[in-house]
Amino acid sequence: MLASKSLDTDLLHSEKKTLLRFSALYILLSIVIIWAFSFMYYESQKGLMLQEKKVILQEYSKKLIGELKHLHINFDKTQIYPRSDKFNSAIFDSDQKLIFQTSKTELDLNKILYLKNDTIHLINIPESYYLGAQFIIVKMKDDGMWLKDVTKKIVSFTVLAFIFMLVIGYILLRLFLKPMRDAIHLLDRFIKDTTHELNTPVSTIVTNIEMIDRSSLDKNLVKKINRIDIGAKTISNIYQDLTYLTLGNKIISNDEDLDVAHIILERIDYFKSLADAKRVTLNADIIENSILHIDKAKFSKLLDNLISNAIKYNNIDGFIKITLAKQKIVVEDNGIGIEKENISKMQDRYARFNNSSGGFGIGLNIVSSIAKEYNLKIDINSQIRVGTKVSISW
Amino acid sequence: MVKIILLVLLFASSLLSANIYETNCIKCHKKIPVSIDKYFYRYLLTYSSENNVKTAMINYMQNPSKKDTVMPNAFISRFGIKKKTTLKESELREAIDFYWEKYKVFGKLK
Ligand code: HEC
Repeated sequence: MLASKSLDTDLLHSEKKTLLRFSALYILLSIVIIWAFSFMYYESQKGLMLQEKKVILQEYSKKLIGELKHLHINFDKTQIYPRSDKFNSAIFDSDQKLIFQTSKTELDLNKILYLKNDTIHLINIPESYYLGAQFIIVKMKDDGMWLKDVTKKIVSFTVLAFIFMLVIGYILLRLFLKPMRDAIHLLDRFIKDTTHELNTPVSTIVTNIEMIDRSSLDKNLVKKINRIDIGAKTISNIYQDLTYLTLGNKIISNDEDLDVAHIILERIDYFKSLADAKRVTLNADIIENSILHIDKAKFSKLLDNLISNAIKYNNIDGFIKITLAKQKIVVEDNGIGIEKENISKMQDRYARFNNSSGGFGIGLNIVSSIAKEYNLKIDINSQIRVGTKVSISW
Repeated sequence: MVKIILLVLLFASSLLSANIYETNCIKCHKKIPVSIDKYFYRYLLTYSSENNVKTAMINYMQNPSKKDTVMPNAFISRFGIKKKTTLKESELREAIDFYWEKYKVFGKLK
């Protein structure tokens, strides 16, 4: 009994969806927060490193400006640009035109201290523009040590933070779910208790009505008794469905070789009064006799649900045709039909797509769970206002 | 033949433009003990780019004043402020272009 895991705390489809959405949102949020923190940390460490290097670069810059000044004064004698093996440099004029560079340099005037292409740049603007140089850039290669350190720290932080967020998320989820679980639990208990209490009175009514000899009674009274009979049978069906759902996985199957035709006729007989009340014709068309190895109660339940649905969702003066062919039962009606997109949803518990008729809408769920247990194939064909055709094959 | 004429023309024109600088600026400046390149590097020191230097020089030549000079006070009190240029603007521009080409830093650093 895999199918209907009883009513215990299993969550419905829509609730699962909500949960999934919540989880996705939460994870997304966590990632954004972690990313933001990592980014801030990275930026601050980068700033720290740059400030450290700035002191050194400023020293170089000062030295270079002194040498440029000397060159400016003696430009008629020498034109050799001052170089150093500790740093590279470049000079630009006020129109940002390159005057000279010791290595390829891209000027970025938005900042005075920046990291670009793994190189730390410092821009200095001297008081006097020796050789016309307004922007003096000194550069040194970034050794990347700080980045390695930062990466290591960010990775471990990310892992830890993510685990922490997951734990918090799990606790939150449990907290949020608690009222929902409680509600489902309560409903479950209530149904179990009520079904148990219903058993005796319903059986008493049904058996006693059966025992009344209607031929000796007044016609008016027979009518009333028929109505009571229908009512009692409806309650009895619902009762049986509920028992099946609540105790479903605890019922031990008692499989035997069943004469399918016999059972079909028996169930049609049982539903006759219900069908009559709605003036629905119930026809059986037994093309071939067949034997099925199955639990009798469960098979009856399956048929009952198919037939009672066909009656419930039928029109006044409608018809129902039950065909037994080779390894196949077809229940056909010319009732109100089901919309296409709802067919797949129909086998969910409690799904009921027409509010005009009563019932718990648990019928098809039971049908599908029994079918699953015995490897029976269900096929639903339906057209709005034309009818529904359900076939069970094996 | 055409080539020779073109070359001669080019030579003549370059001589002509050189002449404005030589005949005007140098002719007068030779009389001053401070060589003309010193002014140039003074301009470079405050005006930096080619555009700025040239504009500032043209302005000064056309309208020399104590307020706009790049030379130190001691220099000005000794030599006084120069006279307004007698050149037309286009001629002045040509002279200054020549002056720039002669002393500019671009392409000279090694
Ligand atoms: C009539 C003489 C004379 C001529 C012609 C002349 N200069 Fe001068 N120039 C001076 C004197 C005198 C000074 C120094 C006084 C001063 O700076 O105003 C001077 C100063 C300058 C200065 C420094 C300006 C400053 O800011 O103080 C520059 C640059 C200069 N000359 C360029 C030129 C150029 C280029 C030409 C040619 C277009 C030229 N001069 C033609 C006499 C001359």
